[in-house]
Amino acid sequence: MGRQVAIVSAGFSEHASKRSDVSMPELVSEAIEDCLKKVPSISFDNIDAYVNGNMPAFEGANIPELWMTDWMGARNKPLMRVTTGGTTGGSVAIAGYYTVSAGLPGIDTVLAVGFEHQSQGDTSVGLASVAYGEISLYNTLGISYDRLTRIFSAGAAIGVGSYQATNYMRKTKITEEDLARVVVQNRRNAAKTWWAHLKMPNLTIEDVLNTPYLSFPLRYGMVCPASDGACAVLFTTEEKAKDMCDIPVYVNGVASVAHETAVMGYDSSGSGQIDPSEQLGAMKSSELAYSQAGISFPRKEIDYAEVYAPFPNQELMWVEKLGLFEETTAPQMYENGVTALNGELPICCSGGVNSTNAIGASALERPAVSALQIMGKASNQVPKIVHTAIGHGWGGVLNLCTMMVMSDEPQRKWR
Amino acid sequence: MEKVGIVGYNQVKLYSDANYGRYEMIFEAVRGALDMVGLKKKDITTAISCTNDYYEGRTISNCYTVEVGGGYMSDESKVEMDGAYAVLYGLMRILSGNHKLALVWGGSMASCFPYHSTRLYETDPTWERPLAYVNDITAAGFQMRSYMEKFGVSAENIAKIAVKDRKNATKNPLALKESQNPNITIKDVLESEIYADPVTELMVAQPCDGIAALLLAPEKQALKITDNPVWITGVGYSQDAYYLGDRDLSTCKSMELAGKMAFDSAGIRNPREEIDVAELFEAYAHEELIFSEALGLAQKGKGIDIDTNINGDLSINPSGGAIGGNPPCATGLIRIIEAAKQLRGEGNAYQVKGAKKAIASGQIGMCAQNNIVYVLEGSN
Repeated sequence: MGRQVAIVSAGFSEHASKRSDVSMPELVSEAIEDCLKKVPSISFDNIDAYVNGNMPAFEGANIPELWMTDWMGARNKPLMRVTTGGTTGGSVAIAGYYTVSAGLPGIDTVLAVGFEHQSQGDTSVGLASVAYGEISLYNTLGISYDRLTRIFSAGAAIGVGSYQATNYMRKTKITEEDLARVVVQNRRNAAKTWWAHLKMPNLTIEDVLNTPYLSFPLRYGMVCPASDGACAVLFTTEEKAKDMCDIPVYVNGVASVAHETAVMGYDSSGSGQIDPSEQLGAMKSSELAYSQAGISFPRKEIDYAEVYAPFPNQELMWVEKLGLFEETTAPQMYENGVTALNGELPICCSGGVNSTNAIGASALERPAVSALQIMGKASNQVPKIVHTAIGHGWGGVLNLCTMMVMSDEPQRKWR
Repeated sequence: MEKVGIVGYNQVKLYSDANYGRYEMIFEAVRGALDMVGLKKKDITTAISCTNDYYEGRTISNCYTVEVGGGYMSDESKVEMDGAYAVLYGLMRILSGNHKLALVWGGSMASCFPYHSTRLYETDPTWERPLAYVNDITAAGFQMRSYMEKFGVSAENIAKIAVKDRKNATKNPLALKESQNPNITIKDVLESEIYADPVTELMVAQPCDGIAALLLAPEKQALKITDNPVWITGVGYSQDAYYLGDRDLSTCKSMELAGKMAFDSAGIRNPREEIDVAELFEAYAHEELIFSEALGLAQKGKGIDIDTNINGDLSINPSGGAIGGNPPCATGLIRIIEAAKQLRGEGNAYQVKGAKKAIASGQIGMCAQNNIVYVLEGSN
């Protein structure tokens, strides 16, 4: 019943706003090359199956795995495609875990790939279709087209993100400086990560606060970029992992619990008045993943965290909702340096999604970076030894969440 | 592989233009599957959906289906392929031991989008899409021509398959009305509109509206939930090369590999002898022959020589197959459900006598680039 799963390697392509030098399959092959380079004993022949995902609407290619078969070495191999919006990467990681764990005959080593070549299309148009799907409903309610355009096109994700930010700010009474502080930490960390997109080693809080508002309280300098990039993670069984690398990273808990649609759903099925900073789905996900991993005191037992936060307010909110800090105390922790590279609980030392956001890859990069931190091979490695780390993903209309708990020791599961 | 039980299933009636919303349809399918075995929403520990953002016309097409699809506050994910792959993911989640009841649903409303135009987005955007000479229909034309030339099979022989499937669909009350015709002849098929020579209109599985849902449970739980579970004893899936020129279209390499993996795990040595009924996702009539040969149910080029009628030597697509209605993202899932119905003796007018072992398949891509095969066994 279920096998112990381990991560043995992770690789990235270089991220930038326009990777016009490569096509989508070539971008993916860069990440796979970087991933396989770190495990010299493994070649394409040793990979038994593939799990893939991206957001197809952002580039105008439906099921692009079909096209990139040979760039991944997936010809005549099993392949499964998983896509769930912002959480796509996290869902790909979880599907990679399950593909190994299920123990289907002949499938031991699985390559999970997440990617996005956003410069090929228009992400905001793709995201607007999330909202525009309900256009007939809004019209029935008497909201005119020009107001709709302002509500949604004003910045697909940022529209809903700013609601969440104001809700969170009301509860915690934080200021814009607190938000800017998170951004400064992330962008400075990104400067030390070779594959990151927005590298700003000398950024200050004033610089961030001098940029214009996109939608209160989020300023231009606070939000994530739209990146082109890919990430690949190699999963295998406990037995094989020991031969492949020095420190295999065991996946001890996974969960992806969905909460109700936070904006007005079909026939108002999702309550429009839900507090988007409440996040019951994230709390349930972390509870489930921690219980699988046998973690009772996340605050004491977790050494490193990568959370999916395109906006700084989300980073503060997630670390609280995932049980790393008490509610409303996260801003203080950032001020006191607890979350810095050499702090007690470093968070997002890769610069996070705030500095690099290739959507389909982002939520896969979170467990990937966490795994590399445990192995001691991360680009911006924390000085302390990391035993247990988490990788988190967020998506949908604020209602989807993925969690992966990893450790350098296998955990015999609860059951 | 440990066996996993199919404990409940439900499929809505297929329509070419359903007069109700997709969310109602999803709810009807999911609710029906739960009602079949008297379970409740809270019993679901994981929900896997299968939709495609292009077919839905909406990015993140799973985020609005959380409530109606049984995903609220349960471990949820989406597979963006055919419904049969969603069953694979559900199966993996059960086999991992993390979950005790998996709900899988898939489907879409083809009446809301131009299916064949949308599939143009599956082509390589650099070389093939701007020319637009390769789409799923013209590719099927190449495939059928290649099969006919290589093995000397005539168009009449392939039309026979379409006739058989459409006659079978007549006996299936859930099949698409447009596909049902008890009096159809080979001449009708050959003289229908040419889609991409030699493929004609009646050889094509018509895209339509429909949702299907299925419940999976581990062996121990399945026996508690129902007296008559259908067991998944083997599964295999594989992906072929992308460019049509890199493949031999007269056969199907990925189906061969998928079949081998599935038969190996189910311990089947001679599929021709051991399998009683096959439900194959044939997007075009000729694919039924290509698949049955790739799976070893017939010799290469001799698929047409087997009696595949409902009580023939080896019954293929007694429900009418995909030609009896092809709701994108649900078709493969419906094949699994139809195979399960045969094993439980629920086929009524199209029941295959004494069916004990069945196979079901799903596919995606041009000329079935990626295929998945299941081996199912009844509990009696």
